[in-house]
Amino acid sequence: MKHYEISRLQVVVFFAIAIAMLIVQVYPMFWVVASSLKDGADIADNPPYSLPSHIFWGNYARALLRSRLVQYFVNSVVVAGLTLVGIVFLSAPAAFAISKLSFKGSERVLSFFLLGIMIPIFACIIPMFMMYRTMGLRNTYFSLILPQVGFGLPLCIYLYTSFMRFVPDSLLEAALIDGAGTFQIFVRIMFPMIRNATVTVVIYNFVNIWNEFTYANTFMTKSSMKTLPIGLNDFVGEMGRRDWGATFAAIVLAVLPTLIVYFLLNKKIMEGMVAGAIKE
Amino acid sequence: MRTRNKAEPWLFLAPALVVYTGVAIVPVLWSLGYSVFDWNGIDDMKFVGAYNYLRMLSDTTFKTAVVNNLLFMAGGSAFQLLSGLVMAIILSNISRGSNSMRVLYFMPCIISSMAICKIFEKLLSVQPEGVFVALLRFLGINPIAILSEPNWVLLVVTLIDGYKFCGLYMVIFYSALVALPIDVQEAAYIDGCSWGQQYRYIKLPMIKNVFFACLVIVLNGTLKGFDVPYILTSGGPGSASELVATYMYKTTFNSTQFGYGGALAVFLLLESLVAVSVVRWAQVRSAKREG
Repeated sequence: MKHYEISRLQVVVFFAIAIAMLIVQVYPMFWVVASSLKDGADIADNPPYSLPSHIFWGNYARALLRSRLVQYFVNSVVVAGLTLVGIVFLSAPAAFAISKLSFKGSERVLSFFLLGIMIPIFACIIPMFMMYRTMGLRNTYFSLILPQVGFGLPLCIYLYTSFMRFVPDSLLEAALIDGAGTFQIFVRIMFPMIRNATVTVVIYNFVNIWNEFTYANTFMTKSSMKTLPIGLNDFVGEMGRRDWGATFAAIVLAVLPTLIVYFLLNKKIMEGMVAGAIKE
Repeated sequence: MRTRNKAEPWLFLAPALVVYTGVAIVPVLWSLGYSVFDWNGIDDMKFVGAYNYLRMLSDTTFKTAVVNNLLFMAGGSAFQLLSGLVMAIILSNISRGSNSMRVLYFMPCIISSMAICKIFEKLLSVQPEGVFVALLRFLGINPIAILSEPNWVLLVVTLIDGYKFCGLYMVIFYSALVALPIDVQEAAYIDGCSWGQQYRYIKLPMIKNVFFACLVIVLNGTLKGFDVPYILTSGGPGSASELVATYMYKTTFNSTQFGYGGALAVFLLLESLVAVSVVRWAQVRSAKREG
């Protein structure tokens, strides 16, 4: 095969640029981790870019003891888990109906859903706030789950539909002739066959839900109900000036779960995020 | 597949339709309704017609927010797409270490904007001193709290927002570049096309559709930009880093002007629709020009 051989010089230049851009991307995270391992004197006496003179874990102990990070973490897990369940359970059947069940207006239903991709959440947040206030639903998990399921649906239905179109009709019709009902066909045949679509949907939405800020900031005012992002904000607001060490440790603890999952599943996560983004 | 019962498809659709309509569609109309009232959220609503929309025309903070938002959009899009593309081209030419570099480069994309803002808040802090100020001092420049500098703050916010998302465009461009058919590249090589010409005339034009898709995402994202300026500066100092979304949010929830907030929300919606239509139109036109 004939192809481009780039010169040695070019390789060196490329590596230099790549490393420089990479340092910019990674340094902030690295700096927080390094700073979280410094003790108070180390932070006060040495320049901010220096590495810890010795490893000190006390900041983590203080961050965990003086904050509700564990509670925030649990809240985030509950919200993310239930939202994902809601999204998958609502969008997969809807996509099944749109892509595989023949009925009048299926294209129009899909377009109606796709309209939602363009709607900014800010166009809906005032009525939602009013509704929750009237019904006393603020500071409940439900108040975060409902809007995120609703706004997650358009994209997920779109993703599912494009996957399901590849499943051959003959397979479903064979099952139909064998006497399976539509519901059975969906549960036993369709859903297991599009496992990959479910993985994409779950990953893409998980990252967004886990990091969600606006709803949580608007609807969760009680400290015990806050999710990690806004909980972190509280902690830093309270401790940020007085205790830098614990603040750094809290930031690290808040992003650690995502980072662990990311380094284990990086390929799948990148694919999922790209698949989600490109469909928008 | 034909179902035995005609209503069956709608049973599968109903739950999603109900939730989606209730969460996304009805509230939009509802916001539209609020926008013609003057209301503080507690007392009686007073019908004011188009007043809230006319008020935007004379609202200087709003005008600043729109201009800032356009700058945020232009600067952010250029920065994110360009750095993503450069990194994608480089990584697709490097074989060793390219995989782990991609993983690291993408990392900020999966970290919450809250954590990123808190990290940068500390990096840019003056008292106690963060790395940025230490660096300025090292270079002999007077240390400044750059987040309180009206002339700089918008740029800083734009770059931090871009920092979070540029990895996404790198991965998208990278997958598009490595998926290009190999025989076209071979033909270019045999025809004596240089390495640079290969990108200028062959590879980049071939991924034009991907570029337009990225443009839609980045415009959509930056027009609704909210998290970074809201968390880091709350639109300040003054309204130096105010964007439409932050202004709308503050008008609604801090000043409890639900009617005017509703009108601003409607503006935000229309703005996004217009931007996406413009990109689509440009895409169709560029496809036509090529015949």
